[in-house]
Amino acid sequence: MSSSGFGGARSLAERSGGPAPAQLADVLERVLDKGIVIAGDIQINLLDIELLTIRLRLLVASADKAREMGIDWWEGDPFLSRGRNGKGLEDRLRRLESAAGLESEDGE
Amino acid sequence: MSAVAEATGWYVFGVVASPAPMPAGVVAEGSLAALVEPVSLAEFGREALVERLNDREWLETHARAHQDVLQAACAAAPVVPLRFGTIFDDLEDVRAMLRSRRHELEAALEYVRGRVEIGVKAWVAPASAEARRPAAPVTGRAYLEQRLGARVQAEEASAALAEVARAAHERLLACSVEAVANRPQPRELTGRDEPMILNGAYLVDDADAFRAEVAALAAGCAARGIDFEVTGPWPPYNFVGDGVAP
Repeated sequence: MSSSGFGGARSLAERSGGPAPAQLADVLERVLDKGIVIAGDIQINLLDIELLTIRLRLLVASADKAREMGIDWWEGDPFLSRGRNGKGLEDRLRRLESAAGLESEDGE
Repeated sequence: MSAVAEATGWYVFGVVASPAPMPAGVVAEGSLAALVEPVSLAEFGREALVERLNDREWLETHARAHQDVLQAACAAAPVVPLRFGTIFDDLEDVRAMLRSRRHELEAALEYVRGRVEIGVKAWVAPASAEARRPAAPVTGRAYLEQRLGARVQAEEASAALAEVARAAHERLLACSVEAVANRPQPRELTGRDEPMILNGAYLVDDADAFRAEVAALAAGCAARGIDFEVTGPWPPYNFVGDGVAP
């Protein structure tokens, strides 16, 4: 019954038409890791969602070709991330992984 | 709004200015309105969510729904996107949240008014690797020299690609209100074999002018085998706060 939620929301979106569906990676990146954080009554414990991202990461890290090639300029350069998203997924993952005794697989 | 018999929570997608030009799913409080949807607590309750979040299919469906609602709202008015999974027990709690976060939300709405988020990704096109492939060597010595040469070439190519990506981001940053260089996405999520070297998000006033800038940039990089992809306009996910809860 994965379609039971957001029924009305879906129809609201459909009424507006709009462009072709975005790629899943772009959507997940934004919806799960961006957007303003507001504490609701029912909390998604950050750990819950980070378990998911750790799984994704463990799944994908060994094949991360860009990093293999040494193309990692986007990391550790605060100037390039001129946004206010200083505490990103990476930092949180690193903390969680070390807390959970998980080794990061891409040698960070 | 649909009638829901079982225990219901209120999922909040984002916040807009009130009065909101949306026909349904809006809870107003003062100058602000939340985009809401009733959800079953059997699905979105505390325990249920923990499991669902790790169900890839469920997550995709609902992450897309979250995006679809914000995208639709965006077309009508400035929107502050909330992170996935913000749920309240009742509408009074949603109103209380709008009151307590009013200043921050108003400032965020003002900041993104008339602006859109554009995504720009750059890839190393496979064609560039093909083109560099040398002719088959005739002798053993030539083979070894070729191997060594290829290795040096690969290292130089990596450094050059990183520099191209950085320069591209800086050029796009210069014509943005704000910019973020995110971690390139892994191939398992993108479904593309070639590596991504740039995954930027840009908050811009004029999407057409920005796209023209990307096109000019892409034309300049095409000979080096760099392939650009522009996405959006998106709701301004990357530009509405630093993720710190109150």
